[in-house]
Amino acid sequence: MSTTAKSQNSAKTSSLMEVCSVRLGQTWFGVPIVHILEIVGSARSQPVPLAPEYVGGLVHYRGDVLTTVSLRHLLGLPPKDGSQDILVLESVNGCFGLLVDLVGEVLTVSSADYEPNPSILDQRRKALFAGAYKLKDKLLVMLDSERLDPLRLGLHSAN
Amino acid sequence: MDELTREFLIESQEGLDRMERCLTELETRPDDAALLGDIFRSVHTIKGTTGFLGFKRLEKLAHAGENLLGLLRDGKLNADRSLISGLLHLLDGLRSILKLIETEACEGIGEDTELIAELEALQSPALQLVGKNAATVSKPKVQRPKRIKVHAPLVSEVPAPPPSAPEKPEIKPQTTVQEAEPPCAQTKPAANPAATAAESTLRVDIVLLNRMMNLVGELVLTRNQVLQATAADPNMTMLSRRLDMVTADLRESVMKARMQPVSNIFSKMPRIVRDLSQSLCRRVRLEVEGQDTELDKSLLEAIKDPLTHAVRNSLDHGIEPPEVRVAAGKGPEGILKLRALQEGSHVIIEVLDDGAGIDVEKVRFKAIERGVVTNERAAQMVERELLQLIFLPGFSTATAVTNVSGRGVGMDVVRTNVEKIGGKVEIDSHVGKGTTLRLRIPLTLAIIPALIVRSLGQSFAVPQGSLSELVHVPAEEAAKTIEWIEGAPLYRLRGNLLPLVFLSLLLQPGSEHSVEALQDSFIAVLDVDGRRFGLVVDGLADPEEIVVKPLSAVLKNIGLYSGATVLGNAELALILDPGAIAAKAGVTISAREEEVHSTADQECGAEKPVEYLLVEVAGRRAAVLLDDVLRIEQLPLSRVEYIGYRPVVNFEGQLMPVKDSGELLAAARDRQSSGNEAKIIVVVCREGNRHVGIAVSQVLDVAAGSELFEAGTQQRTEGVTLLKEHVTGVVGLASVPPLPASECATDEWSKLAEAMA
Repeated sequence: MSTTAKSQNSAKTSSLMEVCSVRLGQTWFGVPIVHILEIVGSARSQPVPLAPEYVGGLVHYRGDVLTTVSLRHLLGLPPKDGSQDILVLESVNGCFGLLVDLVGEVLTVSSADYEPNPSILDQRRKALFAGAYKLKDKLLVMLDSERLDPLRLGLHSAN
Repeated sequence: MDELTREFLIESQEGLDRMERCLTELETRPDDAALLGDIFRSVHTIKGTTGFLGFKRLEKLAHAGENLLGLLRDGKLNADRSLISGLLHLLDGLRSILKLIETEACEGIGEDTELIAELEALQSPALQLVGKNAATVSKPKVQRPKRIKVHAPLVSEVPAPPPSAPEKPEIKPQTTVQEAEPPCAQTKPAANPAATAAESTLRVDIVLLNRMMNLVGELVLTRNQVLQATAADPNMTMLSRRLDMVTADLRESVMKARMQPVSNIFSKMPRIVRDLSQSLCRRVRLEVEGQDTELDKSLLEAIKDPLTHAVRNSLDHGIEPPEVRVAAGKGPEGILKLRALQEGSHVIIEVLDDGAGIDVEKVRFKAIERGVVTNERAAQMVERELLQLIFLPGFSTATAVTNVSGRGVGMDVVRTNVEKIGGKVEIDSHVGKGTTLRLRIPLTLAIIPALIVRSLGQSFAVPQGSLSELVHVPAEEAAKTIEWIEGAPLYRLRGNLLPLVFLSLLLQPGSEHSVEALQDSFIAVLDVDGRRFGLVVDGLADPEEIVVKPLSAVLKNIGLYSGATVLGNAELALILDPGAIAAKAGVTISAREEEVHSTADQECGAEKPVEYLLVEVAGRRAAVLLDDVLRIEQLPLSRVEYIGYRPVVNFEGQLMPVKDSGELLAAARDRQSSGNEAKIIVVVCREGNRHVGIAVSQVLDVAAGSELFEAGTQQRTEGVTLLKEHVTGVVGLASVPPLPASECATDEWSKLAEAMA
């Protein structure tokens, strides 16, 4: 209760945003819910031979075939066996799926708690992350759908 | 963009399309009042609405055009060539502004002074005339205003001409508005059916249609799963059968909703032909046939460019200048014919010209010069193969070929575009007589028949269109039958070497392939316009009608997949692109022997030879009509079961009678007693609606049969054909008696069920 009261107070000076939290390994990430079309639980994606490594595969999503991006691979983590949850994200080039280990709850974050990417972060992660929010008990690393777009990731890896 | 503007854009676009058609027709019938009225109305409507919506630039241009058209319609000007050119420029100008509005929601700040000046210049002869007869013209004017009032609603939308417009034309709009009435009255009866058509039709967003198509695809998949799940439950049979039917009907209706007549793209051609024939100094008559043949909207869009290209080519390189034609004994006017017709599940669009044709000798010479083929190879090539060369990318830009012999510019582009949508391009040419370019387009893009193959533990779909046959290579024979030339795998297919591509190696380039570790595999023999190769896969599943789903750009860029699909068992499968595989594996136009074979395949002219599958049944040779053959199965003997004395094979619940004229099953049983499991070969054929199997000892070849005639009577013999210079009997499929009719069958089944219980 007290936290909500606090965030309401800070709302007078800063804006609030709703963020879906997802976990990967030990880190919690946040994706603004306005970018999320749908969350698909425990789906198995079909690998695509010869696809760029960050492509997790294909999943069947509402009559369409969706390309997924493996966040694990982007972060250099070993692939996870079994099924993963999928966030269906919208970007300028269309929809794609983001494979994550677990989808957590939706949090409300305040712009007052925002910090840009720390300077000691490696280049690769700097390109992927969009800063972080300081929560009471943890840091929530922000992801943004444009940076994760498979087509854009392709351009980056090509450069 | 608001609803009103969007509607305006669509309407204007349609109006301009109509205007374009009329303008090209006007050239042949310059005095046709109805045509002039139509053109005038298109521009008039645009002008009226633009003023209302506040598009000043568009209004100004339309206004200038309207003035000119008014004079034309009143007979004060003659529709000569320069005037029609001017009007076509007006059309282009209007189109480009509309395009701007559509893309950027504003009409741009450009000035059309040049175009307006041109339109005004075209008016000048008439205006001088008006000036002279000013007195006579002004008289009727006094009476007319009364009539305007009657039609006030119609006129009220037309704003006053902008003050910037030149003085003289300002008088004209009034007269034109008034005089728009008589032609209107004349055309009213004709316009009526159009009005009722508009009431019974509806504009639907293409995005919505695509979505519907997707959902129907989804429904088809769900239906397949429901059918599988309920197959055992007799109570559900009726329901699931109904679901099956309704789904099929729905799919057809949605597909029909996406169909559009080819006239949508054919109607653009008169203009192109007109402009080009003028700039190239040709005289060309355009003939169009089969305009109402329908094609899926997205396919129609996709063939627009290739078709334009083909027409351009015909004019540029096909049809000769008038003097050359006359010298060659032809009429000075060339004929360019566009023809569309439906043939089975394909729509064929032909571009025919009676021009110079392609000189294959020139192509041969050029091919050697450019190093496309070797000297010896070129000498061996037959006409049809040489014609195929003009589709090669390098060839297309060879100006020498295009100047001397005709054709060549961008033909590779035509072919690539048509193949992208699963179509084919064929060409036929006779020197001095002309050229026919044939585009074979599938009726719909969304659903195609495909063979499902397995490799790397995954399913892939291979479009049936490029599949010519399947070969089974048992594990123990793999080392023997697959031969290698320095790392290049080859297979001897009826004596000819066929280059092989291992799908698993292609998709996982890192993995080492050892010949010893070969397992049971299958070779899918693919034919991509003359490029024949065998795709080696680990396994085969049944052919399926697949719903093609587009891939995201990042996966499209891999280049090997043309899409993805969801199979009946809810598994995802990537659709392989045979052309891209051939290119990636470096397969080029194949060796001579296979060429001969494939040309025989393509020779689908009037007298197409009937092809037979040559088989051996207990030492005798027999033939099966190739068109009837669905597949060839090698089955363990235990798969053959009996209803009474009749042998049948059970394919996942589908019973198929087996014709065993050579007592092969008994022979196989004898062999089996000596130990290992015997196998029999069954040729699965289509006979009417049912499937029939024929037990054979060996499949020998595919060959074209010739007709035989009875000596004396000269009557065509039936049931025999000449295959490879041997008289061979044709297996009569109709002689296989049908399975017990449904009632008996269910009886028998229920007995069986009882026995089981």
